[in-house]
Amino acid sequence: MNPYVLTTLILSLGLGTTLTFASSHWLLAWMGLEINTMAIIPLMAQQHHPRATEATTKYFLTQATAAAMILFASTMNAWTMGDWNINQISHPLATTTVTLALALKIGLAPMHFWLPEVLQGLSLTTGLVLSTWQKLAPFALILQISQNTNPALLTTLGVMSALVGGWGGLNQTQLRKLLAYSSIAHLGWMIIILQFMPALTLLNLTIYITMTSTMFLSLKIMASTKINSLALAWPKTPTLTTLIMLSLLSLGGLPPLTGFMPKWLILQELTKQDLPITATIMAMSALLSLFFYLRLCYTTTLTTFPNTNNTTSPWRLKSTQITLPLTITIILTLMLLPITPAITTMF
Amino acid sequence: MFYVEILSMLLLVLGLVAVASNPAPYYAALGLVLAAAAGCCVLVGHGGSFLSLVLFMIYLGGMLVVFAYSAALAAEPYPESWFDLSVFSYVVVYILGLMVVGLCFFEGWYDGFWVVDELKEFSLLRGDFGGVALMYSLGGWVLVVCGWVLLLTLFVVLELTRGLARGALRAV
Repeated sequence: MNPYVLTTLILSLGLGTTLTFASSHWLLAWMGLEINTMAIIPLMAQQHHPRATEATTKYFLTQATAAAMILFASTMNAWTMGDWNINQISHPLATTTVTLALALKIGLAPMHFWLPEVLQGLSLTTGLVLSTWQKLAPFALILQISQNTNPALLTTLGVMSALVGGWGGLNQTQLRKLLAYSSIAHLGWMIIILQFMPALTLLNLTIYITMTSTMFLSLKIMASTKINSLALAWPKTPTLTTLIMLSLLSLGGLPPLTGFMPKWLILQELTKQDLPITATIMAMSALLSLFFYLRLCYTTTLTTFPNTNNTTSPWRLKSTQITLPLTITIILTLMLLPITPAITTMF
Repeated sequence: MFYVEILSMLLLVLGLVAVASNPAPYYAALGLVLAAAAGCCVLVGHGGSFLSLVLFMIYLGGMLVVFAYSAALAAEPYPESWFDLSVFSYVVVYILGLMVVGLCFFEGWYDGFWVVDELKEFSLLRGDFGGVALMYSLGGWVLVVCGWVLLLTLFVVLELTRGLARGALRAV
């Protein structure tokens, strides 16, 4: 791709998210979301591969549907209630429609079906952008309308996403699909706490973005998109393989790694709100996700597959890829739990 | 005037039925033009004359391009019109469905304040002209963003379609 076009597209990605962040008016927020969608589409299709094209088409259709629903619902709210303000949306029908549209945008169950297929069609870098940066703008809107949305709807979306994210990933062999299901499960945790403590949603989003960036960047260095190629990739960087295992356990939410922090705080808050059953279901659903993370750990690190002798030497060659972002995110992914009080005061 | 209103609303609905019933692209584009024209007539009837003029011109400008492309891409010798059986069944189903919905909401949906322009009487400036002025003064930066989005869309379309065999739309 031409560097000028690439610059235009990346700047527009920034512009879209910034517009949605900065606006208090539904129309401008919708414009920001649309700019975001438009700008990522050529980046997704730049491989000129049928699967990438298919993924781009699916992504465009879902995002356009969701954006049209947002526009429709906010217009309806402005018509009946006379208010374009984002956090003043009050008509129940409009609020529910907007919540469902935003859930479609970020891929919450039961509107999640596009996410694994789209992510599977993309390169790891674009997948990284899709599962981190593209979630920010919809989440800014979700956080702003969180006080007016229907609590039962949010709980349903949250519990379903956590369960579907766990169940869907069980039988996958493709790493990008696994990461997509992991994304769905984490989004479920963010949504379940939204009505009680939006700060925890933001904290969970930040930590999820860190953890999933680690996974995408490490898989990029390993150049593997399937479990079996990851299982044979350990001689490339044995240290990174170990760290991938720890990052996977952090994604699964095991103490003493960072991923435990949001789950811990969310479960504590749910218990404080006198919702032990919801908290139990969420904790159990985390076990489902943990199963496939553990399976990935097992094939990646804990077993050595038989192979010819000369495949064990690639670690001698220095990698030409940039490793600084991965270094930073991997430290954040593994070591944030001891400073939980400092992190919680930031949100 | 009231009858013209009713007629244009009827044509709006029928035009959308003509699109939704899935005929050949030529006829679907024609139905969309009909719906656009009728919708703009409804807007005129409720006091948004300049708005409807702008909408009609821009929409038809876009429709012309859509029509040219759909006609070029789907060059069928015998295009399906609304009177072929496969399309006609859709037409019948949609019209019957609309009649059922209309009966359900009869007398309830047409309330009085469908006014596009509230400055109709005793006002020097029409509301839709005032809107244009506001767009250039107060909404200046949003206008800049809109211009940027148009440029972005151009780049997006070019990037998706450029290169004959390498283009993403014609992947092998």
